[in-house]
Formats: sequence, structure tokens, C-alpha cells
Amino acid sequence: MKTIRKSLLLAALASVALVVGCSSMKEPATKAIADAEATLATVRDDAAKYLPNDLQGVDASMADLKAKLQAGDYKGIMAAVPELTTKLTALKDAAVAKKAEMEAAIEKAKGEWTALAADLPGMVGALESRVSALSASKKLPRGMDAAKLDSAKAGLAAAKSAWEAASAAFTAGNAIDAVAKAQEAKAKGGEAMAALGMTAAK
Amino acid sequence: MPEDNKYTQYYEVKKGDSLSKIAEQYYGDKMLYPRIFEANKDILKDPNKIQPGQKLRIP
Repeated sequence: MKTIRKSLLLAALASVALVVGCSSMKEPATKAIADAEATLATVRDDAAKYLPNDLQGVDASMADLKAKLQAGDYKGIMAAVPELTTKLTALKDAAVAKKAEMEAAIEKAKGEWTALAADLPGMVGALESRVSALSASKKLPRGMDAAKLDSAKAGLAAAKSAWEAASAAFTAGNAIDAVAKAQEAKAKGGEAMAALGMTAAK
Repeated sequence: MPEDNKYTQYYEVKKGDSLSKIAEQYYGDKMLYPRIFEANKDILKDPNKIQPGQKLRIP
């Protein structure tokens, strides 16, 4: 009987020790989550813009930790915090690098846009006047046939359409898309010029 | 008259040329010579008077 009482007492003491131990981890666990959230907040916008999938992974880890906090699994939180910290650091570094890379690409695109914006209207204008003259002609010149003229007209229409899209993209602040569309316009215009036997000065 | 740029097309007048002959060469239609004259009004005063060596815009 005495042995049973002693065992019960020891079990009770062990339970108390466990509760006290767990309670003592509540504060650092709560703080660890708050710190991680604060760090994530500083990088969230850039991460959402440049690394949405990576951000999703970190958000999932954060949600897991919060669930552990609700369940009182402070030990689990403290065990998982180093991995989350590593993920957060990696996310932050990658977002900073990606942002710098994108900013450099945008600056480069702006430079390319300046050259294309000075170039394309002249190309379109030259094509328009030639297509207009040929369309008004009663017969086509030597070396030109209806198929070539139709091909040039289609190329000119595609170039104009791409150029309008490029201008709209640039106005909307998307220099990278604007340059891609402008290059498409130039390629289409180049094809039309070739069909008409026109050349550009070097 | 639009400003010249690297896409502006030119033709250098040769002896015996006329605007209608050049129009036929580029457009297939002699009657379109006024387009060439209009594009070169800064250097041509009379469509019947062109000189060898002149560089004409061909719109």
C-alpha cells in the first residue's frame, strides 16, 4: 500500500514537472513565432511578387507552427523554429536577389525601348506609304505579285498591332513586355519590307 | 512631308530618267509619279525637271 502511494506521488510529481516544463516553453515558443512573423512581414511583398511558390512553402510552415501553438505543442515549435528560420533567411536572400535582377532587367528594357520607340514609327510609316502606293497601282511592278503584296499587307498589319500593344505595355509601366512586343513588331515589319524589296540603311 | 529615317527609300536619278519612269519601276504604274514628286518637293520644283545624281525619296 505504501509502495502504491509512493508510486502515485512520483507520477503526480512527474506530471507537474512536465506541465511546468511545457509552460516554461510557452513564452519562447510564442516569441519565436512572433519573430518569424515579423521577419516574414518585411519580405512578404517582394516574395509574393518574385517568389510566390517559395512564399507559399514558408506560409505553410508558419501555419503549422501556429497550429502547434494552439495545441500547446511548445516543444514541437522550438524544434521546428530553426528550420523555419533557415527557410525565412533563404526566402529573404532570394527575394532580394530576384528583385535586384528584375530591376536590372527593367533598366535594360527601358534602354532598349528608347531605341525601338525611335525606330519603329519610321519603319511603319515607310511600309504604309509603299503599301498605299502599290495598292493604288493599276498593275504591280516587275518582281512583285499579288501574293507578295498581300504578305506585306499582313506583315504591316501585324507590325502595327504589335507596336500598339508594345506602346500600351510601356504606358502601363511594363517595359519588359513592351520591348518583347516591339521586337515582335520589328520582326513583322522586317518581313513586310523584305516582301516589298525595301531595305533599311545601316 | 515625313522626316527621313533609316527606312526612307531612295533612288538616285540616272540620265534619261523621269518621274513617271521611276513610278513605273517602283509601283508598276506611271500615273503614280505625283507621289514621288510630293515626297521630294523640297528638292523638286517641277515634276518634269529632274537631274542625274539627285537622290529622290520613294514613298
